[in-house]
Amino acid sequence: MNGRLIQFAWRNLWRNRRRTFITMAAIAFGYVMLLFVACLMAGLRWQMIENGTSLVMSEIQVHAPGYYPSRSIQKTLGGRHGTDVNVMLTAIAADHRVYAAAPRVYGYGLLSAAHRSAGVELMGIVPDEEPKVTVLNSQIVKGEYLTARLPKGVVMGDSLASTIGIELGSEIVLLTQAADGTMGNDVYTVVGIFHTGLDAVDRGLVLMSVAALQDLLHLAPARIHEVGIKLKDITTATAVAATLQTQLGKTFPVQARAWPELAPELAGYVQFNRGVTFVLFFIFFLMAVIGVMNTMLMAVFERTRELGMLMALGMRPIQIVGLILAEAAGLAVASLIVGAALGVPVLWYLQVHGLDLGGATGEVVSLAGVVVGHLWYGRQDFPAYVEAALGLAVTAMVSALYPAWRAAHFRPTEAMRKV
Amino acid sequence: MTSVLLLVKISWRNLWRNPRGTLLTALALGLGLALLLISLGLLDGGHEQTVADGVRFGPGHVVIQAKGYQESNSDELLLPARVVSAIEGFLQTGTMKQLVRGVSPRLQATGLLSSAANASGVRIVGVVAEKERAVSLIPQRMIAGTYLSSDQHSAVVIGDELAHKLDVRIGSKVVLMTQALRPPGAQSKDDTGEEMHSTLLRVGGIFRTGLQAVDGNIINVPLPAAQTLLGVADGQVTQVALLLGQEGDSPMVARALRKQLAGDPVEVLTWRESMPMLAQILGLDHAFNYIMNGVILAMVGLGILNTILMRVLERRYEFGVCKALGLRPGQLAAMVVGESLALTAISLSLGLVLGLSVHYYFATTGLDLRLLFRGGLPPALVFDPILYSRLSVNRIVWSVGIVFIMATFISFYPALKAARTELPGALKVL
Amino acid sequence: MTFGRRGKRISVLVLWLAMLSAGRVTYAASKQPVRMTVERLANLFSSKSSIATVKMQIVNEDGQRDLSMKIWSLGDRIIVRITDPPEEAGIAILKVGSDIRYYLPKSNRTVKVPPSMAMTSWMGSDFTIDDLMKESFLARDYSVSTSFEGTRGGIAVYEYTLTPKPEAAVVWGKIILQIRQADAVPTWQGFYDEDGKLARELTFSQYKTVSGRVIPTRLVMQPADKAGARTTIDYEDIAFDVPISEGTFSLPNAK
Repeated sequence: MNGRLIQFAWRNLWRNRRRTFITMAAIAFGYVMLLFVACLMAGLRWQMIENGTSLVMSEIQVHAPGYYPSRSIQKTLGGRHGTDVNVMLTAIAADHRVYAAAPRVYGYGLLSAAHRSAGVELMGIVPDEEPKVTVLNSQIVKGEYLTARLPKGVVMGDSLASTIGIELGSEIVLLTQAADGTMGNDVYTVVGIFHTGLDAVDRGLVLMSVAALQDLLHLAPARIHEVGIKLKDITTATAVAATLQTQLGKTFPVQARAWPELAPELAGYVQFNRGVTFVLFFIFFLMAVIGVMNTMLMAVFERTRELGMLMALGMRPIQIVGLILAEAAGLAVASLIVGAALGVPVLWYLQVHGLDLGGATGEVVSLAGVVVGHLWYGRQDFPAYVEAALGLAVTAMVSALYPAWRAAHFRPTEAMRKV
Repeated sequence: MTSVLLLVKISWRNLWRNPRGTLLTALALGLGLALLLISLGLLDGGHEQTVADGVRFGPGHVVIQAKGYQESNSDELLLPARVVSAIEGFLQTGTMKQLVRGVSPRLQATGLLSSAANASGVRIVGVVAEKERAVSLIPQRMIAGTYLSSDQHSAVVIGDELAHKLDVRIGSKVVLMTQALRPPGAQSKDDTGEEMHSTLLRVGGIFRTGLQAVDGNIINVPLPAAQTLLGVADGQVTQVALLLGQEGDSPMVARALRKQLAGDPVEVLTWRESMPMLAQILGLDHAFNYIMNGVILAMVGLGILNTILMRVLERRYEFGVCKALGLRPGQLAAMVVGESLALTAISLSLGLVLGLSVHYYFATTGLDLRLLFRGGLPPALVFDPILYSRLSVNRIVWSVGIVFIMATFISFYPALKAARTELPGALKVL
Repeated sequence: MTFGRRGKRISVLVLWLAMLSAGRVTYAASKQPVRMTVERLANLFSSKSSIATVKMQIVNEDGQRDLSMKIWSLGDRIIVRITDPPEEAGIAILKVGSDIRYYLPKSNRTVKVPPSMAMTSWMGSDFTIDDLMKESFLARDYSVSTSFEGTRGGIAVYEYTLTPKPEAAVVWGKIILQIRQADAVPTWQGFYDEDGKLARELTFSQYKTVSGRVIPTRLVMQPADKAGARTTIDYEDIAFDVPISEGTFSLPNAK
């Protein structure tokens, strides 16, 4: 019986092509819109995260266990425990999801120029490797980034430079408590000044080469504090961090943390963003319900005579309901397939070409060479796509319920008399 | 002329010949408009909130500070007290008063905060408690104790990370040590004899914002205490931060202030200028809203098309009769358009009522996003989880207008189809 | 921002107490008014000028370090020059009033120390620059009362409880000071936080008579929360009221 009903339902759909196509168009279009929205929202989310992680933090950080939260300079990767940092770096880079990994050393110290001093955070990086992981090098506003040929060059933020009264080429002294407890100190040259717009960074961070900082801190060259990692796909961050921690942990104990742990405020924004997407989806579903229900209701009323006749011929009310629902289901599935087919090129375009928002952003300003309203890439969010499809299908079915119920209550004789 | 009137009459009566169908359709379309309004409200509200959350931890929507401060970040560049009065006075007047929600003068510097257990470098922000409440989010993020109040002279409010590092609680003693701020220009080549001041404070409140840069670093003290500590005479401050009702008013307010303060050595910045990083992050958000509006409109438009088309299709017989009775195609088309407009008008009214009611609810009570997360949100959610809807009159008028225009144009296609009704095919029953 | 590791902070009251401020000299104790006794204690090491040779031993979780230094003081000026170990020999710290500078021979530069620099662990010890700089005004900032009179550890002592005055810019809840009844030299000093918990303690020993005064030549500071960590200061030599030229208080390359 059921099979026959379904066949019947399917044929019913195609008997009135126009009506069917219109409703299909509505659902399909709705689905494409949802795909579009989901893709863009995902792009927005991840772009924010990339912006947040690419400046200094990086997407995953690997430390010796116990390095956080005290950040003691003693707790290094390499050195004391006989671990080999180069081996570790190779092992990390060997993971095909990793784009680049760069070693870092950290310290705190007093920076002193001719007239003034300030406490600063020192970050030792490898000039050739670090730009693959972070983009601070593109924020240089004066002078240049660190290079291998100026081993005792330092780069600092513009707020710091102006507070201390430093220019390019100035000499500065860094004074710190070294790993052996003595007063590490040395003279350096300011080769570059950056501007990130982040107060804490512009005011407190000084970049230098790993070797120079290790010297200053009396740390052996084999000892570093952190490995910063950039992935090919940032969405894999948590998974890769877990893998690395287990894998690397077999040879030497490490702690690998992905950006949600490192920057909970970013993770918070992601959740907020997801929440807004969800609300939007919900609203769209409601719109779809209205549209589909409206259509189906019309259709049912339109077919009053037809349905009445069916009942007169012996179809039971429950079968009528079944019929309507089956039609709705068929309609939904067909529409979603069409929608998905139409959506694929849209999603592809969003991901590969992106949306150029140059004109649409109104009061947006271009600052520090970075244009705010710019090319915006979408990202695939398959869970959302599936959710949207399911939602629409359910919506279509639910929308058909009321009309189906109405239909089941037709009195055959009255129904047949309708014009 | 009479024919137009006739058309209108006929259109209207046509609608009501099938009251249930008409109402149902009107309801459907009205719901569509209501949803449009609701989603616009929530999106606008979300954007507004995201901006507000960002600027309220910093210089607000608009900030006035000494000229050159943004560039140099030198704490010695201060605003004279008379400028502060001028600003406050100006913002009390007419239009400004409507737009501005909070005005907070602040004095900022760096110092050392010590406890019996430890010490830490801090960013001192001297504030006037009641004014700061209207601008900063810190007063709303207290987890212990209370925020500053005007009668406390030696209280300090610190972040929970700092409290943890210093191992202090409410009521604990802390000593704040700092160097006096020298007026710029009085810089000597040799910095000997700079006065360092210490003052005893008690922890009056502890806050948690979830932002490490704030919780581990920023402290709020009463402005007069800060001024004394930093040797700042005559009521000078570092900046005056403004919070506006709407982020979109920032450029206008900034312009007005610049004009008012022309001639003074000040700079007036909107948040996009004072917090470019935030602006970059949020630029996407802003653009996104435009796109969302487009999408929603498209869906509403489709709904309208769908509905009207369906109506036309189901009335083939009726149109056939009309044509048989002599109605010309043009007139038939006009009738359809007329009906659509009437229907749209009814729908819009229904939609406005429904949409604005729901919007009002979300505007006052808000939508708690936490309800959407069965898995729970991260504990230190920086962003307020309650979304408040925001609709400007502009938006409402714009939405209604666009929908109406859209409905008009959309109805042309079905009208065309109606006009093309073929006899005798349409008269075939069944 | 923190300079150095989590500060194992020891109040300057130690070094300061041990070093100088302007004032008078005290001799034998008697049952004099408590306040006066405390003031004398504060001036125990005080004189118009002094020169001392000091050895400092720092023990912490990373091991042990020994430093030797020479300290000159005149009025409110003090200069410390490290003499050993060789890597740090030549480092000098000059304090004039509230101005503090380091001289670093390796860089051949003089740096000024700002107050916003947190726990600058001085030479890696449990002393901080904050300690060096902040003058202790025991009598000014504290009210004193006798809390105990009797024998502790076989020695007849007076024990004073120093409670900070309401407006005094000090972080302690109270300080307890023990002095020998016989000659009014300190034997022990405890620094307590506001909950009454001991934060750190300073033990005096190895008393010698120098220039007519009895002074402890060994000071051991121990933080209460770190077992096994301590800093020991030994005065190998100290002379009071000796002539010192003004030129001593300068650093090379001072700009």
